[in-house]
Amino acid sequence: MPTVRLRDAGEYPEPIQKLFEVAKAWFKYDFAQPPAMSRVMAWDPELGAFHGRAMKRAMTPGEFSRAEKEMVAAVVSGVNACAY
Amino acid sequence: MAGDAPWYEAALLVGVTNALNVVADSPLESLEPASPSAEAQTVFTEIRAFYDRADVPVAFRRVASDPGYLADLWGAARRVFTDNTLTRRHKEALAFAVSVTTRSEFGTAFHLAEMRRLGVGERGVMEVLGVTQMFSSYTKIADTLQLEPDMDHIAAADPSPAPGGTPPPPRTRPPEAP
Repeated sequence: MPTVRLRDAGEYPEPIQKLFEVAKAWFKYDFAQPPAMSRVMAWDPELGAFHGRAMKRAMTPGEFSRAEKEMVAAVVSGVNACAY
Repeated sequence: MAGDAPWYEAALLVGVTNALNVVADSPLESLEPASPSAEAQTVFTEIRAFYDRADVPVAFRRVASDPGYLADLWGAARRVFTDNTLTRRHKEALAFAVSVTTRSEFGTAFHLAEMRRLGVGERGVMEVLGVTQMFSSYTKIADTLQLEPDMDHIAAADPSPAPGGTPPPPRTRPPEAP
């Protein structure tokens, strides 16, 4: 169980809610609520903006495809024993 | 990356990569035989050819005093790094990410060199490093807050059987109570 209460999307200010829509498009999935990590990163929009842009830049297809990069991400998460 | 096959392949690769790294990064220099047996030399020849290099990676040299074990370890390593569902190039990228994440000095240098040898440019290296770094961040944030998985339902379960096997019989629903 999370150690903090994850706020619903509706509890965030409107500009952040627009960013949640962008996240939905990124994942190409219609979440009932934005993923927990999106809501956590939105807690500090200044950090979230930098971090999110760096993540998007890293995940954008280049020499490796998005799918190949998602697998790199999954492997790193697995090695870090992160269930999320 | 649809279906389970690439994910099984990636997981097996992670395991073997880590197995090689733990031996290579440990203070085990004294285990390297000064004069490897002819049987070990035969395996070394295969290893040099596979990696197209003059030397044998330290992870293999350190287990060469047992040529049978060396041959099996090499067989496993060759199997997981050979083109299959995933390309060898992508597999080296995964092994590099694993090695960076586990702070393996040997694995990081070795798989970085292999990525470059297989044609990955500096941009590609940076892409893999960026993904590795970003997800080393996300995982720790998630762990600190003990976030629970909420995206695991996005991908459908793969109904295909094990390799060479037969599909499971269709599940029948138990009769409903009257």
